[in-house]
Amino acid sequence: MTLANLHDFLTDYFTANECEVIENHNGKLQIQLNDTMDELLMNRPFYWQYVKKLGYPGEPMKMSLITNPDRREEEGEWIHFGSPRLHQIFYTLTTQGKFARLFEQIETGQRTALVPWLIINMEISYTGKHKKDEIISMGLQLINGAMKIDMMNHLEQVRLQSSIADFSYTMTPMIRLKSGYQRIINYFEDYLQHKDHSWAEESWNHLQEEKKLLEHFYHNTTDDEAYENRFEQEVKDIESLFKPTIHLSVINGGLFYLSQVTSNRIMLSPSSDNQKSSRIH
Amino acid sequence: MNIELNRDYDFIDQLETKLDHDGPFSTWDIFKMSYQSSLATVTKDFKGLTAPKRLPQMNFLNHQLECAQQVVEEMNGRGILADEVGLGKTIEAGLILKEYMIRGLVKKALILVPASLVNQWANELSQKFYIPAISQRKRPVWDQNNIVITSIDTAKRQPHRDIILEQEYDFVLIDEAHKLKNHKTKNYEFVRKLKKKYCLLLTATPVQNKLSDIFNLVSILKPGYLGNYEEFTKQFGRDRKNLFNDAHLKQLIQKVMVRNRREDTGIDWTKRKVETIYIDFSEKEQEAYNELKRITSEAANFSSITYTRELCSSREACYLSLKKMLNQDKGIANRTDFENFLNLIEEMPHHAKAEKVIELIEDTDEKFIIFTEYRATQFYLQLYLQQHGISSVPFRGGFKRGKKDWMRQLFQNKAQVLIATEAGGEGINLQFCNNMINYDLPWNPMRLEQRIGRIHRFGQEHDVNIYNFAIKNTMEEHVLKLLYEKIQLFERVVGNLDAILAELEIGDVEEEIQSIFQESATEGEAKIKLENLSSVISYAQNNYSEEDFNDTRESS
Repeated sequence: MTLANLHDFLTDYFTANECEVIENHNGKLQIQLNDTMDELLMNRPFYWQYVKKLGYPGEPMKMSLITNPDRREEEGEWIHFGSPRLHQIFYTLTTQGKFARLFEQIETGQRTALVPWLIINMEISYTGKHKKDEIISMGLQLINGAMKIDMMNHLEQVRLQSSIADFSYTMTPMIRLKSGYQRIINYFEDYLQHKDHSWAEESWNHLQEEKKLLEHFYHNTTDDEAYENRFEQEVKDIESLFKPTIHLSVINGGLFYLSQVTSNRIMLSPSSDNQKSSRIH
Repeated sequence: MNIELNRDYDFIDQLETKLDHDGPFSTWDIFKMSYQSSLATVTKDFKGLTAPKRLPQMNFLNHQLECAQQVVEEMNGRGILADEVGLGKTIEAGLILKEYMIRGLVKKALILVPASLVNQWANELSQKFYIPAISQRKRPVWDQNNIVITSIDTAKRQPHRDIILEQEYDFVLIDEAHKLKNHKTKNYEFVRKLKKKYCLLLTATPVQNKLSDIFNLVSILKPGYLGNYEEFTKQFGRDRKNLFNDAHLKQLIQKVMVRNRREDTGIDWTKRKVETIYIDFSEKEQEAYNELKRITSEAANFSSITYTRELCSSREACYLSLKKMLNQDKGIANRTDFENFLNLIEEMPHHAKAEKVIELIEDTDEKFIIFTEYRATQFYLQLYLQQHGISSVPFRGGFKRGKKDWMRQLFQNKAQVLIATEAGGEGINLQFCNNMINYDLPWNPMRLEQRIGRIHRFGQEHDVNIYNFAIKNTMEEHVLKLLYEKIQLFERVVGNLDAILAELEIGDVEEEIQSIFQESATEGEAKIKLENLSSVISYAQNNYSEEDFNDTRESS
């Protein structure tokens, strides 16, 4: 599920956002934006405000993107993994792609029950002296409470659509959404409990040392209240700098309805990497 | 130990609301892409730099990468960047800031730089690092999450001061931090009060005269690290040389300061060959020069010195300003003298310097950059070169970015000569050219250094030839001989001249020279004063004793 090819990613992005691809050749992509995407990407709010006020049809712009570094001198924006345009697009995705309700596409004339899953893609940030992140994709089957890790990879095989297929119907969750979410949080807490946290210990000790230095520095000063305030401020500053913190934040997630067959297949399939699946009842 | 755990509960509330309202929901494609983009931007390791991978258009030098890594990994983002001038402290600082922004650790930053460098910083951060920094001028917005660049003088003034001191910055950077060496100043007080997480101090001269300078700088970053003031002076004394001589202190400082020196970088620097070319005015020109000196000294106009300077550059430059002066100022005593002089100029032959330029360039295919102080001279030279079949393009600091790039390209691919009026801090890279003519010299040595820096920089593969023009028996000769050559301005590959001038409290050398010429009754007097100025500067230079911070000399 990694973003292997930037060019394909961009093509998919604009296609998914219903923009016409005018040119797509040898690492160059020309896009005719539509109104929505122009407003989202081209940063000209006054133009759109004006157009809308007067009731005129807007004229969305074209965009030329170059992903082939050999052609970067040509007209257009050179897109690479640090270019501002790509990060702007990533940023639009954080809101555009945050919430989902999706149904498995079933092509059969028989009535098929769809099992509800809560999918949560979680980012875990570990912040102390340094910082790193980890992303874990988690699925919770909302009928029997089974949990499956690495969920996005399993879902790659599944055909999903925004509306429910004919002859399909959804099963009512046995687990309420919020308690399901709490189970996932609990899972992460448990996961974190069993992790090595020497990074945090290191940060914690460092914080204590820095505090001692500060105390020593301010210790003998006979100065007034202003000095005292500064001491407290500086303690706060270094606490915010070194205090070990873990942040759980959801990248995106939603309610996914999958057929029984698919649900079973996913539960039985091995998870990649060292991520283990677990069951919580 | 205690690890704080923050859990995201907003998401599930929002999802529930969406489900209640039947959407709107993301499609599967967009949902997948959103997840992919998070995977692509995640930083998986505590250590290492991710920023360079995001900046493929930049070629970072090893010492710059090492510096950034050291500050991030070992100094925890609080350090002094003290590389010698010209090794890229701005690049190192940009790299560090970018790293923290990528890791989501810095959203709100305050960058304090000298007022004259605010725009340059903003440009460099945005062009080299894609960091959208706001240069704060008239309508300050301090209380939002952004990267703001401003001068310390603006920041410490009300009403900004109080607002800024309330902000909690993730990152504070102070350029030219040696100005904070005195802990009793308002600037120092202000900086100490800033609420900050990460903090970088940039200076090429971490200790200017007293050892306590370094104590004060370190106390901004890590109060208590060097003990308190009394302990510090008791243990290490006051002599600035102890920073390099006292092994214990050196070791302590190395944990909060990175200092690269030119010879440590392992980069092969090409040579700088400087040649001064003294040129004789033609008889007619010399007559005109003498006449102009006579009538301007009678007029005793404040800017009269400018006209003689301009005449040393081109007839056109001088003609235009005189004409302007005559049109604007009605009460000139010897107006007829000036008017006669204008007629004299019109009859003058081509400028001796311009002829010298042709002599130098005519028989070679090599590219040349010509710097002049005056627009009129720039036009004149372009025309004159054209008459001799030499192609040239103009360049000015005022050109828009696109035009600058275009001119640079024309110069690189088509024209032989680039005629520039302004070195401009905004880096255009001209290192494909290795010949420079200083057609007339700026009276500000820092600007000269900047000019040369356009071509004598990383990426220059050839030795650089600098030709300085000066006309004999004029003020040009005096400035060049008595000042620039005395302080060895051209030979020193890189100078700490700015720091020296700051220490001598010579704010503006140009003004200094101007007033020397202005206020001297005779040429002899002006010469003596110039000599005095240069001996003061070279004395200060000698006092800047050799240092050896990184132990390079013992080990090599």
